[in-house]
Amino acid sequence: MLRRIYVACRTLWRRPDFEQGLSEEFQFHLQQYTEDLVASGMPPDQAARRARLEFGAVDAVKDDCREARGLRVFDELQHDLRYALRVLRRTPAFTLTALFTLALCIGANLTIFAVVDSILLRPLPFPDAGRLLSIYNTYPRAGVPDDGASVTNYYERRGHLPSVSGLAIYRDGAAIVGDAGSTEREFVTRVSPEFFSILGLVPSIGRVFTEGETDPQADDVAIVTEAYWRQHLGGRPDAIGQRLRVDGVTRIIVGVLPADYSFLSSKTQIYFPLSSRLDDRGPGHRHSGSSTHMIARLAPGASIEQVQSQIDAHNAAMEADDPEGPFIAETGFRSVVLPLHADHVAAIRPTLILLQAGALFLLLIGAVNVANLLLIRASSREKELAVRQAIGASPRHVVSLVLVESTVLTFIGGLLGLAIGAAGMRLLNVLGAARLPLGSHIVFDTPLALVALAAATVLGLAIGAPVAWHNLRARTNSQRQSESRSATSGHAAQRMRHGFLVAQIALAFVLLAGAGLLGLSLKRVTAVSPGFRPEHVLSGQVTLPRSNYRDGTARIALLDRVTAQLTRQPGVAASGIATNVPFSGNSNKSSATVKGYPPRRGESARGVYSYGVGGDYFAAMGLTLLEGRFLTAADARASTAACVVDDDFARRYWPLGGALGHRVFSGSAEGRDADAFTIVGVVGAVKQAGLSDDEALGAVYYPYGDRFDSAVYLVIRSSLPPETVGTLLQQVVRAVDPELPVNNVKLMQSRIGESLIARRSPALLAILFSGIAILLTAIGTYGVLSYAVAQRRREIGLRMALGARPEQVRAQFVALALRLLAGGLALGVIGAWAAGRAMQTLLFQVPALHLATLAGTAAIMTAVSLAACLLPSRRAARISPTEALADS
Amino acid sequence: MNKTADLLPGTLDMLVLKAVSLKPLHGYGVLLRIRQISDQALEIPQGSLYPALNRLESQALIASEWGQSDNNRRAKFYTVTKAGLRRLREETAGWNRLSSAIAAALNTAPDEV
Repeated sequence: MLRRIYVACRTLWRRPDFEQGLSEEFQFHLQQYTEDLVASGMPPDQAARRARLEFGAVDAVKDDCREARGLRVFDELQHDLRYALRVLRRTPAFTLTALFTLALCIGANLTIFAVVDSILLRPLPFPDAGRLLSIYNTYPRAGVPDDGASVTNYYERRGHLPSVSGLAIYRDGAAIVGDAGSTEREFVTRVSPEFFSILGLVPSIGRVFTEGETDPQADDVAIVTEAYWRQHLGGRPDAIGQRLRVDGVTRIIVGVLPADYSFLSSKTQIYFPLSSRLDDRGPGHRHSGSSTHMIARLAPGASIEQVQSQIDAHNAAMEADDPEGPFIAETGFRSVVLPLHADHVAAIRPTLILLQAGALFLLLIGAVNVANLLLIRASSREKELAVRQAIGASPRHVVSLVLVESTVLTFIGGLLGLAIGAAGMRLLNVLGAARLPLGSHIVFDTPLALVALAAATVLGLAIGAPVAWHNLRARTNSQRQSESRSATSGHAAQRMRHGFLVAQIALAFVLLAGAGLLGLSLKRVTAVSPGFRPEHVLSGQVTLPRSNYRDGTARIALLDRVTAQLTRQPGVAASGIATNVPFSGNSNKSSATVKGYPPRRGESARGVYSYGVGGDYFAAMGLTLLEGRFLTAADARASTAACVVDDDFARRYWPLGGALGHRVFSGSAEGRDADAFTIVGVVGAVKQAGLSDDEALGAVYYPYGDRFDSAVYLVIRSSLPPETVGTLLQQVVRAVDPELPVNNVKLMQSRIGESLIARRSPALLAILFSGIAILLTAIGTYGVLSYAVAQRRREIGLRMALGARPEQVRAQFVALALRLLAGGLALGVIGAWAAGRAMQTLLFQVPALHLATLAGTAAIMTAVSLAACLLPSRRAARISPTEALADS
Repeated sequence: MNKTADLLPGTLDMLVLKAVSLKPLHGYGVLLRIRQISDQALEIPQGSLYPALNRLESQALIASEWGQSDNNRRAKFYTVTKAGLRRLREETAGWNRLSSAIAAALNTAPDEV
């Protein structure tokens, strides 16, 4: 069968050759035969006639040959195609409406599908990527759902999990790269030696890290990406062995990664070995995962369930002789094994599926709309159809005519949809699609375009089917009773048209109500107070190179100088430093233990947000002081350490107040008294990661010192324009140390705004979709009612001749519109309730059944329906009885 | 006595395939060859010959190529393909089975029943 299609297509491709060949072949035959006849003694003219006679009609034989080749189908198709194009050209209003509808709906679907396809469906760009795993520790009852995996986990598990063929850890960070005077802050990732081989890649030049390079004494090596190699190292092969200054230390480049390499959403350009001291690999650090992550590759033939059970057994064995074991068990500790890809996109998955569902609804509305318009047109073409059938059109041909026409429409709509889809990709970029996990992988490529056109073709057949069915029915009816055209076929068609309109109203209702819920949820999130005053606060990140600022004293001295300088500038109200700021996207959870309050049995330790702060951080960020005092610059140097806790923390331990004076240890156990921090103040709780955070984990603010990372945020409160403050920040830092770059400079309000992107963008898209849906519903209502009026022209004329008033006629059609609307609304409410339930996890303090939203949606739909039936019903009321009756 | 026999339905393609399998031929040659190998008994209706050739070619049982005829005219020559030979063997076997069965049936004498 395939072979036949192939041969037919090949012949089709060289159609002129084929036709020419047939003529030539027949010519040869006739000549040859004529000559043979002449040779046997027949006169030439008689011979020629005889030859032609025996051969038969050349054209008929040619036709038989074409059919034998399977070309007849194509010829008919071509004929139908030409006919469809002619019909479509003759009714430009209909054609343009249908094309506009289809292009919008297909384009919207294509745009969303490009994202869904790139992020959720396509495998990660590694060989056999489906076998890559992510393994992380979870402490659900401590409020820490994902704590990565620790270095200890890695060394303890390596070689003990038979169902993985390799295990690796990595840790993202940032470093100051370059020689003095031309330094840049770069994203870096520290990886264990097997990291790249697990991903299934080898460096294009050089080598991967060795086991020996995990020793902190021997880890001064680096591997760079192809992009970094081209941009910074001139793309020369002798880059291997070159030196790279990182955080003031010289590293030797040992490898360059292949082109197009990227690990998940990482922006890292430079890789270092993840080195650790033997002490860091011991049991004491088993639960210090946080920023370290573990990946693995499934061994051939093994399943993810096997890995999970091996990890569980291994964890149990490890915890058995751990003194902290019972305490860890209280937190609900487990290690979770998930496919790497699924784990990475898990957070965005529901939103993307919701948007795709919304887009599909839109497509459904558009498809129903076009089907209805086609149906209306088919009804008005019944006469033409009857004539065609009278002159012998077969049922197959009746069907193929309709399907060709609808497919031509959807195919052209699909082509236009490609353009709209490409434009939609721009819109998505504005809405922040690139910031999604794997967002940089989003592509709009040829396979996608082909899928779209294939889907458009299928859509064409689906839209054409009800019309074809209608035409076939009309055909059998016309055979039965040639006179009546408003008989049973008319009723069935009318039921179908009205049913389609009801479905369309219901679908648009669901879409609009869904958008309403998302918008309401966004509004409620936005109304939440972050717990600090974000207006006029700018923050930027500085990384202090370890080589120059090895100990806390040096760092504190530098940061003191910077904040003092900043505060002295005119227009700056306050400035401070912190190891993290809210809404930065980084989590800074760790555990804290209050002296005298060991976790009771059945009560797990909890992660709390831990900050190291300096300068006038509290005033700069605008936190509220509830009790005691803020930390001051003096606290950083004082011999008795002080700390400030937030309201959530204080209320957890001292529900009746009195937190001041109590002592807190940083870590999950009580330590020596000398290591304790005395609570000197209580501040208002702050939303840490997002405005919709509802888990009050609590926060502890320690004075910035040794134990904190070398990357800090500078925070400035100033009434000056943000650009001025940004420049000021750069200048002051550079004046103190010219080698320090300042990055990630943003207003706190923009950080909050960015944290809302995952809510705002879907809500905006949903509103856009429902706007289109409403427009389509209006078109659909208008079309159906206009046709109803045209169809009953004679009846109306008669009624008016018998004395009906125009208002009565108008009311009749308004009533029809309202009846269909009522059906649509009833179904829509049920659908909206189901949709609300399905998207419940994405909503913030909004119930699945929100009455005000439903009422608002119903009001909008009613207004749209009434507006759409205004014109047709007025036209009905103006029908002149004499003309209407004269027409028939 | 009529010395040419009418073709049974479905046998035209088989005969054309057979003719072409003996030696590459042009369309008119196929006509002559069938007449020759059937001892002038079978006469192909000329109008059905070319659709049959096209049908066989679209099934990839024969292939065609332009070439020179004996008297140096441009003509399209048909050759049998491997699939064509296989089909011919099957059809021949099938035909032989059928015709001997029919012959046996028709030759049955009353006393044999």
